Amino acid sequence: MIKFILVQNRQGKTRLSKWYVPYDDDEKLRLRGEVHRLIAPRDQKYQSNFVEFRNDKIVYRRYAGLFFCVCVDSNDNELAYLEAIHLFVEVLDAFFQNVCELDLVFSFYKVYAILDEVFLAGEIEETSKQVVLDRLDYLEKLE
Amino acid sequence: MATSMRGLTQYISDIRACRVRELEEKRINREMAHIRQKFKDGSLDGYQKKKYLAKVVFTYILGYKVDVGHMEAVNLISSTRYTEKQIGYLALTLLMHENSDLVRLVINSIRKDLDDNNEIYNCLALHAIANLGGKEMAEALGEEVYRLMISHTSTTFVKKKAALTLLRLYRKHPTVLSTAEWAERIISMMSDPDPGVALTITSLVTTLAQDNLEAYSSCYRKAVDRLDRIIFDADYPPQYVYYKVPNPWLQIRLLRLLQYYPPPDNQQVLDMLNGILQAIIDMSQDSPRNIQHNNAQNSVLFEAINLAIHLDPDSSVVSNASVLLGRFILAKETNVRYLGLDAMAHLAACSNTLEPVKKHQDTIILSLKDRDISVRRRALDLLYSMCDTTNAKVVVGELVKYLAVADYNLREEMVLKIAILTERFATEYEWYVDTILQLISAAGDHVGAEVWYRVVQLVTNNEDLQAYAAAAVYQHLQATACHENMIRIGGYILGEFGHLIANEPGCSPVKQFQALHSKVNYCTAPTRALLLTTYLKWVNLFPEIKDHLINIFERYTHVLDAELQQRACEYLALAQRPESDDLLSTICDEMPVFPERESALISRLHAKSGKVQEKRTWVIGGKEENKEREAERFRQFRKVSTPASADAAPSIEKKLPIPSLPPQPPIPIPQKTLTMDTTMGTTSNGVAEDIMSSLADLDLSGNGWQDEPLLINEAPTAEALPQTNGGDAVVHATLGGVDPALLAPLTVAPNIEKWLERLTYATEGILYEDSSIQIGIKAEYHSHLGRIALFLGNKLSAPFTHLSASIENPEPTALDAHFHGMPIGDIQPLAQVQELIHVECKDVFNQQPVLRVVYRTGEEGPKGQKVLVLRLPVVLSRFVEGVTLEKEAFFERWKIIGGPPREAQLIFPIKLTSSGEVDLARQTRVMSGNKFSLLSGIDPNVSNLVLAGVLHMSSGGKVGILGRLEPNKDAKLCRLTIRSTNEQVSAEILRLSSKPLNADLAAS
Repeated sequence: MIKFILVQNRQGKTRLSKWYVPYDDDEKLRLRGEVHRLIAPRDQKYQSNFVEFRNDKIVYRRYAGLFFCVCVDSNDNELAYLEAIHLFVEVLDAFFQNVCELDLVFSFYKVYAILDEVFLAGEIEETSKQVVLDRLDYLEKLE
Repeated sequence: MATSMRGLTQYISDIRACRVRELEEKRINREMAHIRQKFKDGSLDGYQKKKYLAKVVFTYILGYKVDVGHMEAVNLISSTRYTEKQIGYLALTLLMHENSDLVRLVINSIRKDLDDNNEIYNCLALHAIANLGGKEMAEALGEEVYRLMISHTSTTFVKKKAALTLLRLYRKHPTVLSTAEWAERIISMMSDPDPGVALTITSLVTTLAQDNLEAYSSCYRKAVDRLDRIIFDADYPPQYVYYKVPNPWLQIRLLRLLQYYPPPDNQQVLDMLNGILQAIIDMSQDSPRNIQHNNAQNSVLFEAINLAIHLDPDSSVVSNASVLLGRFILAKETNVRYLGLDAMAHLAACSNTLEPVKKHQDTIILSLKDRDISVRRRALDLLYSMCDTTNAKVVVGELVKYLAVADYNLREEMVLKIAILTERFATEYEWYVDTILQLISAAGDHVGAEVWYRVVQLVTNNEDLQAYAAAAVYQHLQATACHENMIRIGGYILGEFGHLIANEPGCSPVKQFQALHSKVNYCTAPTRALLLTTYLKWVNLFPEIKDHLINIFERYTHVLDAELQQRACEYLALAQRPESDDLLSTICDEMPVFPERESALISRLHAKSGKVQEKRTWVIGGKEENKEREAERFRQFRKVSTPASADAAPSIEKKLPIPSLPPQPPIPIPQKTLTMDTTMGTTSNGVAEDIMSSLADLDLSGNGWQDEPLLINEAPTAEALPQTNGGDAVVHATLGGVDPALLAPLTVAPNIEKWLERLTYATEGILYEDSSIQIGIKAEYHSHLGRIALFLGNKLSAPFTHLSASIENPEPTALDAHFHGMPIGDIQPLAQVQELIHVECKDVFNQQPVLRVVYRTGEEGPKGQKVLVLRLPVVLSRFVEGVTLEKEAFFERWKIIGGPPREAQLIFPIKLTSSGEVDLARQTRVMSGNKFSLLSGIDPNVSNLVLAGVLHMSSGGKVGILGRLEPNKDAKLCRLTIRSTNEQVSAEILRLSSKPLNADLAAS
């Protein structure tokens, strides 16, 4: 299962964090720092998208200046989560029409709502981009 | 969804505009004060509350502590507007954690939203529970969530979210929910036409089933069917195709679920699965250009390979896959290399043969130098798994070489793995010692204390090793800089065994002393203490350097460290006693042999892997480790399923049992040996073997009596048999409908006794053979546990059907014997199947368990039914392990035990060899086959045998056994005396070990 999802920029500012395991605030702060230091220096071209982290592993992918990281159990299927990240990014991109870092900042409450449609309770919830986008359209029209 | 709030946007822009942290804090404090004031005034409308709360949440996300807004969040979730509710719930889930006091306040609001007719509200409430999910929520709302999930009126969104919410609640508080009762209902939802629902339900089932394999067993068939429909019938809505791959996540979930169950017994299901897996592999032969497409395709492929390995690592599907893997580990994409190595490690960890993996050894070793640490780790894991006696030197050599340049956080793990491999696959003592010492000098700080303790244990327990080890460690101490661990080993080994090399050139006592003492300044206090002890031992061994040593003790009587000072004073007093006094030599007597125990290294290694949410389907390491883990995982499942199968739901269990093992190549039955004979143990005598084999929990290399022919006599004639076994069965069959198989008495045939008797002191051989069937046995025992492999071979040209086997155990409290899996199935013509029996000795037992095999040959009617009832060669002496004792220790114990009743004695006639001599070879074979160590140099008469061993029982404890066998050539008699601390044991061991030699009783 997913322990947490972090979206950070290259400077290490966290743009989205979702925790599926109850860490306390100090621990969360520590984790953000550790993950950034682990992921940011890794080579895009010659290194894989997976790296061991404590007893788990982090599957991550970089989009422009943002790192999307999910921390999963050490025996989870790496590629499944790598593509789940991509699915999520595609949903964000379609929803915000060319998503950029600022969308995540200014519309943070929407991003959380989108996240809850794709991932829930540390598992992948919906895998069809179309189904998620239709749902978001519907919610967007509600008052 | 909440439409934009201008105040919020402004606030965010303001904060972003702050150039320094102080300004940002100021702005935030101002805003928070403002909000606090507003909240205090009350009389805010919904929009305002929403806006302020959003600001609070944003502030929190930035990493500031916030202390307002909790009550407003609670209020806002009762709003009737979706946008306000949404912000309320968001604040709730972000600002509170599961143990917050406020959670109690919101349970009722959440319940109201769960019950609401508006599915949007249901979803928001489910999000909240899934995100917070404390115990109180689980108790108060668990049932409600379940009800929503199974309700026909719920939308697919509600069902999906409810399923994952339940999963979350279960993971946190497994006991709160009645998951076993819900099993059938939940499993039926796996066939939901909506792939989203199917995915989430499958995730839920995967977790629930791990703790409750039996109740959820019918999910197996459902999962296979769904996969079949996706792969072969293209049964999925088009919007679930992800870059041309049909719903990869659902496929992966289903493939993963199947790995938590043992391979199916039903051949049809197995065929179906193999078809699916082969199809997935066939579809993955090309790598698509599009990266998403490629990843999605490979994600399914790797999961399929994992399942195929789990089902049967030797199947053709796996061998097809391993060709692909060989390509993957050479791939240009790092991800693919990483995953290829990972899958190969899985294969190596489970497979019976390492050959397919070893083909790639050079590539794998090269991967240790990959640019990515993640890949390097996988290569390390794989090398660890694929190591065996044939490549140990190369692999370990490469690892040691790599250790010097390896990443710091990898080194400790590497050291452990190297130490384990060296211990496990060493074929020469010298190599073991050299490698470990090299390891310690190369990796220093990363070598845990366990590693050097282990070396000391090994060297102490192996006489052959001592002089070599002393010389080797002395050599290492010559270096100008030594790691402290090396000094400790040096101190211990030279203290104990330094005298063995004292006459070698350059190794004189003084030199040894200088080598150690020149390092003392760099050592910590515990090491100095150890060295002081070494010096005391030398006072005893090397009187010529006594003055130096006393000098040092005197100096240490003034040190500050209390422990060191005390030692120094005591040692000084001991060293200065007069020459005639033997107190010192008594104290400095050789250290006793270490008791055999499991290597601490392996448990250390596995402890490192820690806890994961989902159980691992396999671990890095050898086949044995994985087999045991699997047995542990499935034990409950099989146990329950056997009696329950009759009234179980229409699950796969109920289908006709068909063997899960594929037919193996035809008879001849037992291969000669179970493991390689080159392991350290077998090159040396019995004792060394025991010690070495207990080292790393490795397989006991069955030291099969290779000089003896496996088949002593020809099989009994074909005519003799039907009358004995088949005939009996027919008679009993008429007795009023009782299953004749249950009534059949012990099968009688000419050689049965002989075969059985031989097996009481040999590890492998024939248990039974007639014109149609051959049953071979191969056994290995390790302290109180044993494993017996039964090889059932069909000699006919027609298959055996309806084969079943069971074990009757007359003394279940003292002995446990059960099949590893469900020993039922068919045997193809001229094929053989293997079944595994686990035995555990709990207490003293006298009766052997009985094996009952029932099967049908091709013949029609009662004649076709065959029943075999055979005693299994499981006897008390199998659980003995030999020990070595010195002369004094032996006699001391012999005396302590004393005469009858704890002594048992028997005088019996023996057969002499054709030349009229005592058949010493055979006596030796029988006695050491009864697992005793034969001690030399104790009895002056060389034809007498002196025996020692320890009987291991899990609840009865350990019983030491001593014995003496005295043959008399002229009288053609032999006297066997057994002394042990338990009179029952003495009597039983006497009976067992004398029988094969007793000319009156022996069957052969």
